[in-house]
Amino acid sequence: MSDHARWEAEFAKGVVGNTTTYNRSGIGIKPLYTPQDHNGAPFEESLGYPGQYPYTRGIYSTMYRGRSWSQRQLVGLGVPEDYNLRVKEMLDLGASALSLIPCNSVFRGYDADDVPSELLGTCGTVINHVEDMRVALDGVPIGDLSTAMNDPSPFTLLAFELAVAKRRGVPWTKITGTSNQSDCISHFVANHMFFRLALQGARRVIVDHISFVNKHVPGWNPLSIVGQHMQQAGATPAEAMAFTLCSGIQYAEDCIAAGMDPDQFLPRFTFFFDVSVSFFEEVAKFRAGRRIWAKLCRERFGAKDPRSWRFKFHGQTSGVDLTRQQPLNNVARVTTQAMAGIFGGLQSLHTDGYDEVFSTPTAEAARIAVATQNILREEAHLTDVIDPLGGSYYVESLTNDMETKINAIISMIEEAGGMYQAVEKGIVQRMIGESALAFQKKVDAGEQTIVGVNAYQVEEDPATYPSLEYPDAARMQSYLGRLADFKKSRSSADVDKAISALAKSANTPKSNVFEHVVAAAEVGATHGEICGTLRKELGFGQPLTVV
Amino acid sequence: MAERPPRVIVTKIGFDGHDRGSRVIAACLRDAGMEVIYTPPWQEIPTVVKLTMEEDADVIGISSLATDHLIVPKLLSALREAGMSDVQVIVGGIVPAKDETMLLASGVAQVFHPGASLDDVVVSVRALSEKRRSMQGAST
Amino acid sequence: MNTVSNMSIQKALGGDRRSIALAISALENGGEMAYEVRRAIAASQGRAHVIGVTGPPGGGKSTLVSVLIKGLRKKGKTVAVVAIDPSSPFTGGAVLGDRIRMGERQSDDGVFIRSLASRGHLGGLSMAAGDVIDLFDASGFDVVIVETVGAGQSEVEITRFADTRVVVCPPGLGDDVQAIKAGVLEIADIFVVTKADLPDARKTESELLAMLTLRRSQAATPAVKSVSAPSEEGTDALVDWLDARSERGRRHAAGGAKTAYSLVSRCIAGDNMAQLLGIELVAASMGSTTLRMKVMRKHMNFNDRCHGGALFALGDMALGLACNSYGKIATLVDGQLSISTAVEEGEWLVAHAYEVSRSRKIGSYQVKITRARDGEHIAMLHGTVYVLDKSVEAPVNVKL
Repeated sequence: MSDHARWEAEFAKGVVGNTTTYNRSGIGIKPLYTPQDHNGAPFEESLGYPGQYPYTRGIYSTMYRGRSWSQRQLVGLGVPEDYNLRVKEMLDLGASALSLIPCNSVFRGYDADDVPSELLGTCGTVINHVEDMRVALDGVPIGDLSTAMNDPSPFTLLAFELAVAKRRGVPWTKITGTSNQSDCISHFVANHMFFRLALQGARRVIVDHISFVNKHVPGWNPLSIVGQHMQQAGATPAEAMAFTLCSGIQYAEDCIAAGMDPDQFLPRFTFFFDVSVSFFEEVAKFRAGRRIWAKLCRERFGAKDPRSWRFKFHGQTSGVDLTRQQPLNNVARVTTQAMAGIFGGLQSLHTDGYDEVFSTPTAEAARIAVATQNILREEAHLTDVIDPLGGSYYVESLTNDMETKINAIISMIEEAGGMYQAVEKGIVQRMIGESALAFQKKVDAGEQTIVGVNAYQVEEDPATYPSLEYPDAARMQSYLGRLADFKKSRSSADVDKAISALAKSANTPKSNVFEHVVAAAEVGATHGEICGTLRKELGFGQPLTVV
Repeated sequence: MAERPPRVIVTKIGFDGHDRGSRVIAACLRDAGMEVIYTPPWQEIPTVVKLTMEEDADVIGISSLATDHLIVPKLLSALREAGMSDVQVIVGGIVPAKDETMLLASGVAQVFHPGASLDDVVVSVRALSEKRRSMQGAST
Repeated sequence: MNTVSNMSIQKALGGDRRSIALAISALENGGEMAYEVRRAIAASQGRAHVIGVTGPPGGGKSTLVSVLIKGLRKKGKTVAVVAIDPSSPFTGGAVLGDRIRMGERQSDDGVFIRSLASRGHLGGLSMAAGDVIDLFDASGFDVVIVETVGAGQSEVEITRFADTRVVVCPPGLGDDVQAIKAGVLEIADIFVVTKADLPDARKTESELLAMLTLRRSQAATPAVKSVSAPSEEGTDALVDWLDARSERGRRHAAGGAKTAYSLVSRCIAGDNMAQLLGIELVAASMGSTTLRMKVMRKHMNFNDRCHGGALFALGDMALGLACNSYGKIATLVDGQLSISTAVEEGEWLVAHAYEVSRSRKIGSYQVKITRARDGEHIAMLHGTVYVLDKSVEAPVNVKL
């Protein structure tokens, strides 16, 4: 009897019944993986080296030995001064990059004086014009630090930052960061929070944005293709990766159709993913995604520069996995998720606060989140070896399985006419909805344990749960007063001129809309004025909801 | 007389756009045999009142993940003003304990937190729908 | 539980929105109040223009409806929308999602949108749909738009309910343009190609036109128009075309429901069997009649249940009136009664007859008999009638 057969026999004695489990993407998982599972082809062929096509083991030769991932924590609450304070705290604690998240009213495209005041500043910072941005970034070295702006079309926050940079004398060539919510497709599918313009209008603006940024702010990533929303909405990890890559295909093809050179825009395409607590699945998802994207860039888009083939991504630990019950357990979950992202080879990481389920994080929760990353890197030494899980029979086998599954979904979407069409037909939304419902049913049936929720529960007093204080009403009132003053102090002639130029540009196909957004921001136009104008010309974003 | 199935509005007011929860609830209520009128996020309160009236809905389910629950009391007073105080309103999502008390005091029938089972939601909605219908009969 | 009273039915006819909503629920519930509502609205029919919109899922129907509402409102018309979605055959539940695509239109006071679930009705429309449309007509809306999913028989059903039938064609159907013609070509008054901004739209439009000109038919050739919702290109032309149509109450055939009701009431008043059995008229329109009968001692059989013959007579009466309502004599040639539940003395029964199909000579009808108290299904009558070339001569001087 072979060793393998003997193991099988002994295992069968100890564990009766069906031993296959299924991960979130529906892939069957066995209890043991051996060289028979990983195809045993020569190393160079099947696996390769980091920094070499197709980058399974990592996009850079040095990975974290050369440079750690960016610790990029989301910050956003209250008024610009509050943001400035918290950002400086984060930088002191070891965050190495910024991420700004604006108030929901800003996401929806309104100025603060246009909305119910109860809802201001509770989930993000209120920023309505260039002066607000100046206050928010006061004393922050924007020429040296990368800033991620969580701001969809028409990217007014970046426009405000560029205006501030100009006033400070910081050349735009030194500004680095990412337009973190530039992927309009993902918003239409799964996060209606984030779009302001009609889908085809946003499609136009993103191409203009990429073109402007590539030319004038070459260190900035104008496109972050987002898988996070879809996964948080219920897509399985394989679905989320597949849909995201399909969106990437659309954007790339739009840019090529607009006459841009793939080697010019692809190096500035980045991705943004959710990292769930399904540890190995996430690692395999990222490794597979890296391989597939590299092949697409080289073979389908015809890019020749290796820098164009690199799958750069930011990972955010998934808030959807966190629970309200026994909230401190979330620290363990976030740690697991962060590890999965690190072993998956991300370039930048945000770890959630343990109180994410309750509100925007408290200062204490935000500290623990950053510390988690420091501990993993410096105490657990996770970065000493590049792609340490590479070569594992399980991980390589799972990476191949994920790649197959992802490619199958991509083919299906391509057959439906590509991502835009699939979204307009509701195909993607339906699939996500089904996955979400299926998962919830598993939880309700007890097949998927959620500690503290459907198993290992304890008596808890809801009054002990953490909660952030809402922004001080007086502080908000004072902000609104300053907003009114600002509107009075700027040159209304200049603003009107810039706004009509912007409106005209939206109706002129050859004109670059984002260029006019920047011009308007510089003369003091507000966020609500810019968004309102473009909504009128390009259409109001309505979700393509399908249940 | 054949009673019709419970008619439920599933909607979001305020700014938040995350709607996974509301979609799951809508699908689940449908699977439980109810008629669900599902709306996208960012509904204005007067619009919700109008559509509740036109659809003769029994229950309004508000999904709130950011702090949008803070304006639910405004919805309740708008319903009262329109003569529809029999319609039952429930809120599901992220609601701090101190706000739950406030919501119940303002007339919300029930608040559901993350981790609530779908079955519990279905049972509650059905009960509230029956309650509304008996109230309706009394007030005409 | 009756929530709509006679007073509020009157308010509904006067246009009070809340009362209209409650009256619609009463119609959906069936039962006594449904008949009160039907009776009250029977006389005020035929003023509104009823536009039926159907087409494949994802074809852009709801978006088109939204754009139509906008255009009609600009012309100062009040618009009611009946949006019908299928109920799950397994759970009976439904997600009624059409109105969400109508965006801003929802907050307009000149617009009333009601979502109906099909509730198991085989044709895909809801049993109450016709009544709800009639209610909107009676309560003063200028236009009633009925939106249904074009699946199964519902395109054909739309014939019954609409004065103008709009069939929506999304571009890119390609060879599927052939597929839409089964039954649909025959009933459409206009084909609207949506998403006109897409490259395939021109192709679809020309393919449709080609197919229609090849058709040999005496009926008017359907029009074909293209519309693009985002740019609103083509919408004004479409709205003008719809507004110019003079067909009103065509769904009730020439003359409208008023004529039908008047004719049917005279017919039943002059019918000896109806008098004998105590069968009463509740409501009537072209091709449809509702009657009621109280089961009394004289109807009972030797097992102390309502005699099958009495049930047949009730059903046949309803069917006969329905198929004669057009004014031409129609006579039953084949009828079949299936009984599900026995009926006890003292129960009120309701018989609702409606038309399944009708050609020049042959008509097919169904009658659903239910118990008024709880809507329980009692019996179903299917009948085939033969239409003569003679006019119905109902007595003129009967006491109604």
